[in-house]
Amino acid sequence: MTTILIVDDHAAFRVQARALLVAEGFSVIGEAVDGTSGLEAARTLRPDLVLLDIGLPDVEGFEVARELAVSGPPPLVVLTSSREASEYGPRLTSSRVLGFIPKDELSGAAIRALVRLA
Amino acid sequence: MPGTRVRTPLASTLSTPMTTTTSTWGRALLLIAAGALGTGMLVGHAQLVPLDLGNVLEVLVGWSFVACGVLLWVRRPANRLGRLMTLVGMLWLLGRTMTLVPDPAVFTVGIWLTDLWAAAFALFLLAFPAGRLSSRADRAIVGIFLFVVVPLELLWLLFWVPAASSCPPSVASCGRLNALAIVPDVSAAHVVDTLQRIGFAIGTALLVITLGRRWLRSSGPARRQMVPVLVGALALLPQAASWLLFIVGIRLAPLQDLVFLAQVAIPMAVVAVMLQARMARAAVADLVVELGQTPTPARLRDALANALGDPSLQVAYWAPIGDRFVDAAGEVMELPEDGAGQAVTMLERNGVREAAIIHDAILLEEPGLIASVASAMRLAVENDRLTAAVQAQLTEVRASRARIVAAGAAERQRIERDLHDGAQQRIVALTLALRLARTRLGDDADPAVKLSLEQASDEAKAALSELRELARGIHPQILTEAGLHAAIESLAVRTPAVVSVDMDPDARFDPAVEAIAYFVVSESLANIAKYAEAGAVGVRAGWQDGILTVEIADDGRGGADPRTGTGLRGLLDRVSAVDGTLEVISPQGAGTRIVARIPTPAPTPAPTSVADRMIGRVAT
Repeated sequence: MTTILIVDDHAAFRVQARALLVAEGFSVIGEAVDGTSGLEAARTLRPDLVLLDIGLPDVEGFEVARELAVSGPPPLVVLTSSREASEYGPRLTSSRVLGFIPKDELSGAAIRALVRLA
Repeated sequence: MPGTRVRTPLASTLSTPMTTTTSTWGRALLLIAAGALGTGMLVGHAQLVPLDLGNVLEVLVGWSFVACGVLLWVRRPANRLGRLMTLVGMLWLLGRTMTLVPDPAVFTVGIWLTDLWAAAFALFLLAFPAGRLSSRADRAIVGIFLFVVVPLELLWLLFWVPAASSCPPSVASCGRLNALAIVPDVSAAHVVDTLQRIGFAIGTALLVITLGRRWLRSSGPARRQMVPVLVGALALLPQAASWLLFIVGIRLAPLQDLVFLAQVAIPMAVVAVMLQARMARAAVADLVVELGQTPTPARLRDALANALGDPSLQVAYWAPIGDRFVDAAGEVMELPEDGAGQAVTMLERNGVREAAIIHDAILLEEPGLIASVASAMRLAVENDRLTAAVQAQLTEVRASRARIVAAGAAERQRIERDLHDGAQQRIVALTLALRLARTRLGDDADPAVKLSLEQASDEAKAALSELRELARGIHPQILTEAGLHAAIESLAVRTPAVVSVDMDPDARFDPAVEAIAYFVVSESLANIAKYAEAGAVGVRAGWQDGILTVEIADDGRGGADPRTGTGLRGLLDRVSAVDGTLEVISPQGAGTRIVARIPTPAPTPAPTSVADRMIGRVAT
């Protein structure tokens, strides 16, 4: 079962995302509210995949993703945001992550589709 | 000019000149008398000897003094110089004509008046240009002349027996022509005569020295104006020499003609310089033009100095704080004392001091000119005051507009964040909850319930999409996070046409400027999508020499008009709010080019670490 860490500062999103992903057969092994605690949780929990919000209160999701990529062994990273991909333009396309899922389109199927592509 | 008073503290104390019928008649009579006397002198001479140049010049000296004196008297009634010149001329004509009359009483008075002329001439030279003696030395010199021509003259006349050479040839009993010769004594007369000639010579020398020193000390217009009297004084020198040489029996006739010639010219030159100031009025017109161009204090001073022909002129500005006069640089200035050769013309408005013009006292001869110049300068001062007031208001309006623009941009960002963190997050959570409900329901649930859930989910997605659009319209978050280049790129992605973006990706500008530039591109691309039917669009942005230029060009059908439609009009307003310009070039059928030029400081390169930029940012 794929283990997931959710990093997002909005509690309502974390609750709904966890419930949805669990319902769709994922194991949510942790939650973090900002970039710093997200990196810490990733190091200790070693999830298969990190669902990472771009707009975190302390460090931007892009930067957290870069840190995660150099940690060993790196987890898969899926960026998410309540904004659309186009609002991030080239920064999103140039970031070395598995992919991007708008928050409102989050589903187990969407994550599996990205994982399959990887 | 109402409210303006020009005070000339050192102005002549003479009463306001009034041209009355009486004085006009008086002056006309003087001219007629001078004409008659001169003619009489010529006739008198003609009866004795054939007329030569000297006889003619002698008459012309008198006429010149009387004519020029009367002219000056009319034009400068407040100045005694005109009357003094008339007196000099009349004494000359009267005395010299009367000595031609073979009547003892007339002859004797003629002799006396001829010598009295010298004192009047000295007085005239020393009284120039104010028409009065200004120092004790002047009065002493005139005193020497008067001593020679009044007491010594009367003493001499008591002894003097006219020789045949000094009385008209037709007169047989020449010796009896002196009506005052009570104790005729040739040797006593010679002694007194020698004393008189020495007195004349001393007086003349002092006169020349005094005027020479005055000329050397004066500057500017005064020095130029003094030239004729200086020549007059110098012309007295050969005369004094000839008087002294006469003692030893030498006569200098040719030199006499030259002296006469100089004396003919002197009154004319004096009148010319005295009235020349009037020509300076024309310069006042130039001054007004000059002052109309909001001159710098230095140019103002130069313009005034030119108009008044006084290079030594200074302008003092009244500083109410400190209660003193200061120059243009703010240094304290002392106004000159009375009698220092300089005069002060105060500029006051409604009784409040504004400035002072320090100028050569000689210019007081031309009060009208000073008043004109002062009025012109008052206009300039007023103009400066209004310009400064408007400038201050404009500066304040600019500053407040900049504050409003910046506050507006900050407020838009705040609203966008509030939407994002509030309503948007709640709808996201709602969408996920609906999806979860749908998942938990399973595939064999009631189709009606499934449909309701799917419809609710679609509504939530639509609401989120509209909210995103709204938030982006208020302020695109990407602009704050990643700058103008990234924001324009994200616009380009959403535009149906092929959009190429040419801009330094790292350049960051003032947030308000970035927002305005972004909306110019956003509105232009929206217009292109709606109307232009364009295949390709080019967006270019670059900063040079303090201007951020943003250009959007398409190959569509053109014909866009900023006067119609609110989109371009709104852009124009936004760009104008930061002192920028918006140019729309859109010929029918040949594409549209929109160029916005926004003044802004040089861009800063974007921070190398994305994290650096995000410090302090509120959550996404």
